[in-house]
Amino acid sequence: MSCSLIRLWLPGLLIVSSFAASLPLEAQDMPLTQVLIDGEDWQSVSKGHRFTDGLTTDSEGNLYFADVAAGTTINRIGIDGKLIAVANDAPRISGMHCGPDGRIYACQGGSYGRIVAFDLQAGKMEVIAENVKPNDLVVTSDGHVYFTETAKMQVSHIPPGGKVQAADVASKTDGAQRPNGIALTPDGGTLAVSDYGGRHTWVWRIAKDGSLGLRQSYITLRTPSPDLPSKGDGMTTDAVGRYYVTSAVGLQMFDPTGRMGGVIAAPTNKPIVSVAFAGAGHQYLYVAAGDEIFRRKTKASGVEAVRPKRKAK
Amino acid sequence: MKPLIPLLALFLGGLFLPATATADYPLTADSKPQSGVPKGTVTQHRWEQSQIYPGTVRDYWIYVPAQYDASKPACLMVFQDGRGYVNEKGHSRVPNVFDNLIHKKEMPVTIGVFVNPGTIPAARPGGKSRSNRSFEYDSLGSRYVTFLIDEFLPTVTKDLNLVDDPQARGVVGISSSGICAFTAAWERPDYFGKVISYIGSFTNIRGGHVYPALIRKTEPKPIRVFLQDGANDLDNLHGHWPLANQQMAAALKFAKYDYRFEMGVGGHSGQHGGALLPEMLRWLWRDYPDVNQGTEK
Repeated sequence: MSCSLIRLWLPGLLIVSSFAASLPLEAQDMPLTQVLIDGEDWQSVSKGHRFTDGLTTDSEGNLYFADVAAGTTINRIGIDGKLIAVANDAPRISGMHCGPDGRIYACQGGSYGRIVAFDLQAGKMEVIAENVKPNDLVVTSDGHVYFTETAKMQVSHIPPGGKVQAADVASKTDGAQRPNGIALTPDGGTLAVSDYGGRHTWVWRIAKDGSLGLRQSYITLRTPSPDLPSKGDGMTTDAVGRYYVTSAVGLQMFDPTGRMGGVIAAPTNKPIVSVAFAGAGHQYLYVAAGDEIFRRKTKASGVEAVRPKRKAK
Repeated sequence: MKPLIPLLALFLGGLFLPATATADYPLTADSKPQSGVPKGTVTQHRWEQSQIYPGTVRDYWIYVPAQYDASKPACLMVFQDGRGYVNEKGHSRVPNVFDNLIHKKEMPVTIGVFVNPGTIPAARPGGKSRSNRSFEYDSLGSRYVTFLIDEFLPTVTKDLNLVDDPQARGVVGISSSGICAFTAAWERPDYFGKVISYIGSFTNIRGGHVYPALIRKTEPKPIRVFLQDGANDLDNLHGHWPLANQQMAAALKFAKYDYRFEMGVGGHSGQHGGALLPEMLRWLWRDYPDVNQGTEK
């Protein structure tokens, strides 16, 4: 609330103009200039893959990614920029997220059809759920796993130590037709899911028991034309609650109230399918663009910067 | 001559205010309590039963004029961002204005409903409540007006006798709720026949910048519109408010709507709109039965 007082002296007349304190009618406007830095463009950080996906980070800012098409490893780009394989025998990984226990939870598609968790230090993998068709996932700070099952038009939920359950199923007329990317708000209270086959990114309130409710088409994406879908794919959020969604027209950014802040250009003409904040201070946006991983420095920082520590082990 | 120059600059400064300055639009006597004018009652309530916006909670207020007689149907005006309109120290002080204008028969006996946007309270410990304001107000389409007509208004006005006529119903808002008010009447002109928008966000927050184009290529709807904006209103990522409101006014003129547009020099505040409200109401209600004619200023 600002209150300005302007006094204009005129002969024999004192004009006092007090501007009524503005009501907080609009949430703070969040243009791209609050995120992007002049002169900081995308830079290639890893290439020579086939189809990169599953970007995620840990509390140190290391970036993890997989190569869905050709790879059998989980790769890590450290904050020193060095690329190493941190897990072998891990094919068909399309989505990853670091859990509160330090393990990397992952969607393993194709004939595997399961959710797995990697303990990178011990070199162990545990199967968390089978007979699913997962695409992307997140893990809350208290260990609930949510993942998208695109073909089933479903968001699924695994409570800590529990079994898979359908948390939300769309109909052909309502809900995400091809649920794909998935992200949590910094407070962990709202789950957001992009729709590869529709125009919206949907949100739910996470109840105390971890169930999802109050589905809403809270965010509307720009589409290439009115009759084409958004191709909303990988998602992330930042520390102030902005949403980032990869899409047919680039990386779309939305403020915490669902209003578009702008579209960040993709680094190349290849589709971007996954996005994460990682690197030093989690201040770099990373995207997966086909055979190549790019990053650019921003003024924002990822949710990991404000979450309880999740150091991959 | 020289001493005159600073004075002249000051004088011109008063006429053409720079972007950093603000104009002063004081409230008139019509917006202040007047002795001998009966005062209506204002009651505050909370609504949390919406099926159209599940999980939302919102405060609302109902103003019932002293002249209301349950045996005679009254008119209705619905104010979005209601807290700002009903606030007795706010930009518009609607209960005072209604008291005064109804007393002078410059508007009919009218119920005021003032409703806030919804909030979705957090469910988990440490969670933050989520604002539903932009989703409800900035989105085009019929969802919000359906909420008003099908679930909210029938419940909150169920004990009141209201005229069933779009010309007896107005919808009002400021900024995002300004475009929301227009959207409500645009979608349901069979229900709302009168619109007031202060500093309306006819910009691309969620696609609302298309209205001038839609208005020009749509058979005119039977809605009467009063728009207000200021030359120093917002210019940001969503659009340029003064240009957007001028485009709206030009489109309404082209399509031969019954409209008025007041462009002041203020910024993104309710001050100018609030000061204009009595005039807006007189203009909107000027030909309503039993309203005094010829008092419009």
